[in-house]
Amino acid sequence: MWVFGHTGGGSDLRTQESVFEEIFLVFLVLGTIVGVVVIGYMLYNGWRYRASASDELEDPPVLGELPVGQGGGKKLALSFALSAIIVLSLIVWSYSAVIYVDQGPEMEENMEVEIVGAQFNWDFTYENGETLTDTLVIPEDQLVRFSVTAQTEPRLDVWHTFGVTELRIKADAIPGQTATEWVLADQQGVYLAECFELCGAGHSHMTADVIVVSQEEFDSWYELLSEDPDEAMENIPEPEEN
Amino acid sequence: MAEHSFPPRSSVKRWLVTTNHKDIGILYIVSSLFFFIFGGILALLIRTQLWTSGEFILSGSAFGQAVTAHGLVMVFFFLSPFAFGFANYIVPLQIGADDLAFPRLNALSYWLYFFAGMVFIVSFLQGGTIEAGWTLYAPLNLPAFMPSPGATTAILALLMFVGSVTASTINFIVTIHTHKADGLSLWHLPMFTWSILLTVWMMLIAFAALAAALLILGADHIFGAQYFTATEGGGLLWAHLFWFFGHPEVYIVFFPALGVMLETYQTFTGRRLIGRKWVILAMILVTLQSFLVWMHHMFLTTINLEIKTLMMAMTIGISLPFDLIVFAMIYTLLKGRIRYTTPFLFNFGALLLFILGGITGVFLGAIVLDYEFRGTYWVVAHFHYVMFAGGTALIGGLYYWWPKITGKMYNEFLGKLHFGIYFIGFNLLYFSMFLSWEMPRRVFTYHTGLETYNQMATIGGIILGASFLIMFYNLYTSYLSGPDAPDNPWEYSRTAEWATSSPPPLENFEGVPTYRNGFLEFEDRNAVADGGHVEHGHEPGRHPDHASWWPVTISFAGFLMLIGLAGLGEHFAYELLFIGGAAFVLLSAIGWGLEDFYAPEPLRGAKWPFDGVHKNKFGMWVFLASDIVIFGAFIGAYVFIRWGYGWEAWQNVPAESLPGLVNTFVLLTSSFTVILALVYAQRGNRRGVIAGLLATIGFAFTFMLIKSWEWNFLLPEAETLPEAVTMLVTLDFDVLFHTEGPAIDASIMHSTYYVTTGLHAIHVLIGVVALGYLAWRAWAHNAYIDGNERPVENVGLYWHFVDIAWVFLFPLFYII
Repeated sequence: MWVFGHTGGGSDLRTQESVFEEIFLVFLVLGTIVGVVVIGYMLYNGWRYRASASDELEDPPVLGELPVGQGGGKKLALSFALSAIIVLSLIVWSYSAVIYVDQGPEMEENMEVEIVGAQFNWDFTYENGETLTDTLVIPEDQLVRFSVTAQTEPRLDVWHTFGVTELRIKADAIPGQTATEWVLADQQGVYLAECFELCGAGHSHMTADVIVVSQEEFDSWYELLSEDPDEAMENIPEPEEN
Repeated sequence: MAEHSFPPRSSVKRWLVTTNHKDIGILYIVSSLFFFIFGGILALLIRTQLWTSGEFILSGSAFGQAVTAHGLVMVFFFLSPFAFGFANYIVPLQIGADDLAFPRLNALSYWLYFFAGMVFIVSFLQGGTIEAGWTLYAPLNLPAFMPSPGATTAILALLMFVGSVTASTINFIVTIHTHKADGLSLWHLPMFTWSILLTVWMMLIAFAALAAALLILGADHIFGAQYFTATEGGGLLWAHLFWFFGHPEVYIVFFPALGVMLETYQTFTGRRLIGRKWVILAMILVTLQSFLVWMHHMFLTTINLEIKTLMMAMTIGISLPFDLIVFAMIYTLLKGRIRYTTPFLFNFGALLLFILGGITGVFLGAIVLDYEFRGTYWVVAHFHYVMFAGGTALIGGLYYWWPKITGKMYNEFLGKLHFGIYFIGFNLLYFSMFLSWEMPRRVFTYHTGLETYNQMATIGGIILGASFLIMFYNLYTSYLSGPDAPDNPWEYSRTAEWATSSPPPLENFEGVPTYRNGFLEFEDRNAVADGGHVEHGHEPGRHPDHASWWPVTISFAGFLMLIGLAGLGEHFAYELLFIGGAAFVLLSAIGWGLEDFYAPEPLRGAKWPFDGVHKNKFGMWVFLASDIVIFGAFIGAYVFIRWGYGWEAWQNVPAESLPGLVNTFVLLTSSFTVILALVYAQRGNRRGVIAGLLATIGFAFTFMLIKSWEWNFLLPEAETLPEAVTMLVTLDFDVLFHTEGPAIDASIMHSTYYVTTGLHAIHVLIGVVALGYLAWRAWAHNAYIDGNERPVENVGLYWHFVDIAWVFLFPLFYII
């Protein structure tokens, strides 16, 4: 668990959620330790050398002296080196996950969905060309790749950011640019998609439901969507209770 | 105006005309505190709205305006001006100068800032101010999405503020490099002055990039240019320009606070800074690196992974110097005699907050985590812990220098009480935001599950706000009836501001400060004046001037002009206001030029490596450096958009390159004639000077004539040149810029062409005014042939720059 070892394929498929949670946890634990040590050290010395408990200074500064420093460089260099090692190793370690998160796992089967943001709705277009607004249905345990942008025709729209907090996915939706994102949802359920870039007065209400259902249920619904879109949109499948 | 007619501080007139750095410092501090209250009220509005998860007191649009204005007011109109209030007051004292290098320009900086704030306030009254967030992302920042003139007004307010910053930047760079006391080398500068020096160097570059971004945005707003609506990368272009400014801006805001911390950590521990030279080197490293990390604000955009990785490495790299600085401050505590006075409590607390902000910032540096944190309250909490940690240190600075500035002591108990309540409120407010980090930024309704954290934050916000009532009460009573402050109220303080009276006299020190013997001494003023060799520009026996009406007049005129400009096409009154304001600006600028204002340079001092460079010439070079960045950003924007469009598919707007080629030769020749004018000035040949200047003006007019013919040719609505001129003079922008045919909004190709060559044309026109002024002075006053040819040289420098800029524009817009 502590050593990040995926090669980007094969048996170790991981969701974005688990990658994020692991890295976040490590940062949180180390960050807390560093914070407690540094702040503790500072408070301790701040207390220890308070004026009422301190001796007279050996070589006190005098008004009008040319500003110079005091020794102590070795200790400084040592602490600096230590902090640099911690920060650098954290970043190098977390970087191995960046490529995986950026490109997604390699799976033979995957589906693609195009996401277009426009004030103040999300449109989801499937490979069969059908578009749902503010609702996205995807199958459980399958790789879904998104291309994300903002509307340019018929009317230019603004910069949005598509994100689903619980699934730990996010991508900027910029007019004229297409970002990519992927999801591998391993739990059925209804997840909330939100806009994460201020896009106007309706920004707070620019949400959508991401519905994750079983593969069988998705397949039959998707078939219906191809044949009778209106009927399919009336009958959005519901996730099973876990 | 001579010293004896300088009005006393009790007179209102004094505060309108003063150019003294201490008065300007006080004006900055008072005005910035006003904007602090303004921004704080907006913050409390935001927190009140977020008390419940559903609809409450604000609409979506009002909330958008509140968060936008809160950010802009706090960053631009509070934090930096507050810090520069201290910089104005303290830096000249610390380096032993009488005043800044250009006192009148300093007053202009203040008044431009003040009236920029007023323009911003007016934007609220014009159907609502801008509501795109303080980052003003495109294309939401355009009239198509925010049709009220208030949005345009807000952008012009920021542009005016940038003008203020640029003037101030030039002033501080020249002052700190050339007005230091004898024996005070750069290495030995006090840490607060060091921090300001590095801040202004960053400002010079960063604010020029912001100026370019705002000029282009203004062109989109007012003339219908199409940069940020271009689907060929308009949105990304804004993000690049904004963050190239925006990331250094974080350090620009934080560095002065760091300077206050570094001073107080020494004073109140009785220790000198540990690892001083490493701290300085770390700060220099941050200054340089701050321009290489901006894309970490754009990790979720379509930038490719290689560039993101590079930016991530740079970002982590820039956090390391801060580690060193933090450790240096902590180690300075050791073996000291720490006195927890109010200034030190705030600075001690500031470091605690900054450590938390720094650790949570490392999270954001990791790309995988940043992908999720982007646009959430984690970011909001983090930057408040960093930037408001800076604010905390600056409040400590206010208590630290209050006795020096007012000559009164504040109440120590109330000060400590203020800190206690402040610190509790701060952490309750911003730590709650870490806990509710999954919430998107800038939403006014949210999940009910996050209500508890939001309510904690709101309570924290109210406590934080209330703590300032104690501060204002304390300072108010101290000013009215506090005990008199001694010259040096803090044991173990070292820097020169404590070696003069509280408050200091007009000329700062009785004698002339010098560190020639390794410590601060004062020499007799008259002895120095007699002993120094008399330079040109020094008039023995004449007192320096301290008052001018022109800074406030020009700024007020600019205020009127910009309000008019924002509303062009809205109402006839706006057009009148614009024309009247523009004429007023021109007239008051001429008045400024004609005023005989005397501000001598110090006769001796530590100037390395700028020995022998006259301050005006140095200032001109610094200004040109910022102008290079502006043109660089315009050219960069053009290349970026053209790249997105398809380099080869792009068609140059001028069908013929010949007029452009002719113009290139015309301008190059004019560079030669302006040199001739300088050579004749050196030889004392009056007619030669006038002829050289007039020839240069003639070439400039030739250039503009060909240019306007070309524009006219490209703008078929105006059939003839006179017609185009009439349209310009009567401000018929609708016809000039918004008709069928290849007008500015015809395509992105037309927009980039008109806007970039338009920026250059404005530079040419400003040059013509300056050259005309020189020619008139040479003709009417026999100026420049008496050995003082510097103005000809400085305007010549500017003119060469305008010519060189064209040498870059010509191939880009006509040939390639």
